[in-house]
Amino acid sequence: MENGKCLRICHLYYDILNLYGDNGNIRTMEKRLNWRGIGSEVTRLSFGPLDPPAEYDIIFIGGGQDFEQELLVKDLHTYKADWLKREIEKGTVILAICGGYQMLGQYYEAADGTRVDFLGGIDIYTTASDKRMIGNFIYTYTGEDGESFQIVGFENHNGQTWLGDGVKPLGRIVKGYGNNGEDGTEGARYKNVFATYSHGPLLPKNARLADELLGIAYRRRYQEKLPPLEHEMEDAALSDITKQLLS
Amino acid sequence: MSVRATVAICAGKLTANVLKLFGSGATSLPGKVVLKLCPDILGHLAKDMKIICVTGTNGKTTTCHIIRDMLEAGGNTVFCNDAGANLLGGVVSAFVKASSAGGRIDTDYALLECDEAALKSIVEHFGGLDVTAVVTNVFRDQLDRYGEVLTTVNKIRAGLSQLPEVKLLLNADCSLTSSLRDLEHKELHYFGINIPLYEEASSDISDAVYCIRCKTKYRYRYHTFGHLGGFYCEKCGYSREEPETALKRVIEWREASSVVELEVFGKKLETEVMLPGGYNLYNALAGAAIGSMTGLSGEQICSVLGGLTTHFGRMEQVRLGDAELSLVLVKNPAGFNEVLQFLIQKRPTGNIVFGLNDNYADGRDISWIYDVEFERLTEAASGAEHFYFTGKRAYDMQLRLKYADFDTARFSVEKDYKTLITQLKQSGQPTFLVLSYTCMLEFRDKLADFVPLKRYEADK
Repeated sequence: MENGKCLRICHLYYDILNLYGDNGNIRTMEKRLNWRGIGSEVTRLSFGPLDPPAEYDIIFIGGGQDFEQELLVKDLHTYKADWLKREIEKGTVILAICGGYQMLGQYYEAADGTRVDFLGGIDIYTTASDKRMIGNFIYTYTGEDGESFQIVGFENHNGQTWLGDGVKPLGRIVKGYGNNGEDGTEGARYKNVFATYSHGPLLPKNARLADELLGIAYRRRYQEKLPPLEHEMEDAALSDITKQLLS
Repeated sequence: MSVRATVAICAGKLTANVLKLFGSGATSLPGKVVLKLCPDILGHLAKDMKIICVTGTNGKTTTCHIIRDMLEAGGNTVFCNDAGANLLGGVVSAFVKASSAGGRIDTDYALLECDEAALKSIVEHFGGLDVTAVVTNVFRDQLDRYGEVLTTVNKIRAGLSQLPEVKLLLNADCSLTSSLRDLEHKELHYFGINIPLYEEASSDISDAVYCIRCKTKYRYRYHTFGHLGGFYCEKCGYSREEPETALKRVIEWREASSVVELEVFGKKLETEVMLPGGYNLYNALAGAAIGSMTGLSGEQICSVLGGLTTHFGRMEQVRLGDAELSLVLVKNPAGFNEVLQFLIQKRPTGNIVFGLNDNYADGRDISWIYDVEFERLTEAASGAEHFYFTGKRAYDMQLRLKYADFDTARFSVEKDYKTLITQLKQSGQPTFLVLSYTCMLEFRDKLADFVPLKRYEADK
């Protein structure tokens, strides 16, 4: 790229947590950087040791199938836990969705009370429920600049997630279920972690959120503001579905 | 035949007639009426028949069409359920329609397209009968329907486990489908493709990355499509079986067909397969295997494959003024990727229309369009005149293509089908329309105001 600048994106567990069009998020980050003349370098990490423990500006973790969960938790504790916790505390931008969101928290408690210990990187936990929280949903997000805007996505989960102290919700539900279908919160926000139940391609039509993540990462890396970029077609998709959902 | 069953059949026939009187094409209601009156009706009606069930994520309808032609070429009589009416109600309706008022059916075969989840309820009364089950493949489908691919495999397994005497015909190249080999059976056969299908194959194998038996990552000798190919597990030894019905070589890709070399139960055949795209070769192989299993000669099999007509492969040609429209249905990422592969080979110069709805039958969640590898089409479609987007989620589809680097200057969203059809007609250009299920139904409904069309689902 012309100005020689480049952000390094890590797609963690790209081949396991990839159920719902998660690639759309990576693609959106890459494109929105490239269209600004900024480079992007995507590293896809799977199971196994980190060799060498590389530096990333953004880490993305998607959602997955239950089938692979036990493998995943084992790998997480063996190879990734220390690194990931350090990155969270350091303020690296992390986008975590669905399974990836739950995984950053303390634990998952099944209906029979058995617990699966997760990363413990953010103070949230998830409990099983028999409620299927599924459908298009809308929540309001308040950005770094204090401006609020709406985010639209699709949620599909039956885990209920509960936020501990020190973790703020990512947004407030306008329509749909969110974290647990009860307290009106959606997702989690801690340091530069953005976690949400909005699965799959969250970023393409929520371009302002995409730019928010990229903006923070860019500022951390280059101490500069991310140059502006239009998002007309993105907004058209967003407002079209918002209208359909609220009519 | 019990009195109860006879009454039920009459009630079903009556319902069907009433529906016909009102011009409704409803195909599953008569079956539902019958089931209310006699829940085990299939056991009564099917008892002297040979049954072929076709299930799996993609290719059910096309495979059924081919099998039907194979059976008829062998001089058999066949009845089928209407494409899409593949739940229990639709299957019962088909049986009732084929039966006399007294409950007699004079056809040799019942050929049934079965939804994966409905398979269990359909086959539960078929125990002890002559049943052949074809499983085409398992891919991730509408995600909000079954959740994950293993759920789908388990649903099929639950259905087939009720048939210890079944003749199984499985896709050898699909590690998920092939895992059904451990079910109790009378015969077990495979169909598959022995070579990498495309020079530059789609590499997205994420539907089945880890061994279904021991959870080790699969290795592949070659890929044909998606997760299909020459898979094997180094740890537990689970691997692709050598299929008796196999594609050995593609001699030539043509416009809407291909010339191939097959081996079908020891018979070496060279034939044209009159279906567009590589994805249909799997369907052709399943059909050829059934042809051979029901006694057709190699020549007869070739003659069927070379003579397939109508809108097989779910591609339908319609002339609209000077514009030649090609309509193709897409349901999930794997099917869509196959359609893209077809378009890549065509290098279209006219219009391309993408239509996406998010009604229940399409899948409420449209995330899957980001699992479709539009990036592979970008260059091949660079000569296309214009891209139209339609359906309830037209704007999302448009955005998907923006992020695949298509030329946005040639984009238009047109949600009004009538306006869209008028524009396509005026352009006079050849046009590919790639539409999700309910979008296809709505579009055809409007198109019928411009040109005479056949009924969609029941076309045979």
